[in-house]
Amino acid sequence: SPLEDRFAVGSGARLLSICYFDPEHNWWVSKHIKKPIRSTILCVDWHPSNHLVAIGSCDFKCRVFCSALKELGDKPQTSNWMPKLNKFGTLLAEFDTNNGWVHGVQFSPSGNQLAWVAHDSSVNVVNSANLTKVHTVLTSNLPYSCLLWMSESSFAAAGFNYCPDLYTVTADGVTFTAKMDVKKEKSGGGAAMSAMARFQKLDVQGQSETGGTTVDTTHENCITEIRALSRNPATGAVSKFSTSGKDGRLVIWNFDALSSSLGGLKI
Amino acid sequence: EAVVSTQSTGFRTVDVDAYDEDNYEDDARDTGDSGAAEVTERANQVRGLLNQLKTKEALKMALKNPPVGNKDASVKEQNYETVVSVLKSFKAADIDAAVADLDMVEIDILMKYLYKGFTCSPDKAASLLQWHEKVVAKGGLGSIVRVMVDRKGI
Repeated sequence: SPLEDRFAVGSGARLLSICYFDPEHNWWVSKHIKKPIRSTILCVDWHPSNHLVAIGSCDFKCRVFCSALKELGDKPQTSNWMPKLNKFGTLLAEFDTNNGWVHGVQFSPSGNQLAWVAHDSSVNVVNSANLTKVHTVLTSNLPYSCLLWMSESSFAAAGFNYCPDLYTVTADGVTFTAKMDVKKEKSGGGAAMSAMARFQKLDVQGQSETGGTTVDTTHENCITEIRALSRNPATGAVSKFSTSGKDGRLVIWNFDALSSSLGGLKI
Repeated sequence: EAVVSTQSTGFRTVDVDAYDEDNYEDDARDTGDSGAAEVTERANQVRGLLNQLKTKEALKMALKNPPVGNKDASVKEQNYETVVSVLKSFKAADIDAAVADLDMVEIDILMKYLYKGFTCSPDKAASLLQWHEKVVAKGGLGSIVRVMVDRKGI
């Protein structure tokens, strides 16, 4: 959690566990949130206040719960997410994502916005100032599995299209801005590849036949995680981030360098 | 002498999930889409537009408000027939312009009907594939993914 005094675990047991260490009894305690989660939880994110948690699950919904614990002396504030003080485990908001498992969910840096990506190739954002209006983009690419807010008004999403994409959020909604994988010209290497290299390439791409497809993205298989590496000290915006994927690669992206090659992209 | 198991292995074929009380069930939500009357009315209007050779308008009308939540299969069938009748009326050269006119929601609906066509009317596969190619060009793989994850069926 943001204050690093507890952690949240979402599981296939359809419940969310908020866990902390109890020094009085010298053991770890977990408090469960079960209702109304109906299927495996795929992703969890803490709100910067340390008192709210958002989850995405296989029952196609994204939810926000109150996770403030009296036992840890929490004194939660009311906010747009929680207009009146609620007890632990209260469902504060529930969003439907049409038909997709929710693969990734994240609060924006301020905690006022919530974005999630789902298996129906959708990208969704909601602002706590208006919880009834969810902005959705039905993308034309394969679904995303993870996302990272780059600043309060933009986030990167990555997944089965092997490439991090940048989305911009405004009061009117969310729009796709750019693909962040700017590939330089690939040098030959096609003809004279050793047998070993060929098999390695197939393995990395997750294929079983020599279809001979070369991908033009840095990642050669689904990206599964995207994390911030460093932030601009003045603005708090992400300047470097990393992605890792099923191709076994960990790639570090320098957003400042990218933005110049993408024509002065701003986040 | 062969070793014979004295215990029954029938337990291996038991469907454990069937006994799970917490199994996920789709919400039976009333989504407020077309009822039988609206579908019939739409079929008439579409036929009228086709008679006037207004194929693009007919397509847009046919794709409006599909009876997705309707429990009556015949209503869904009727709407499907309406859509197919419009697709049939297009000349191959005109498909591009028609698809360009559709917004992303209509593209998704059309894609769902195309895939329904592949299963229900395999004899029309050739023309459906022509449409499919054009719709993918606009809707991308995302529109196909949304057909695959759709739980209610069009």
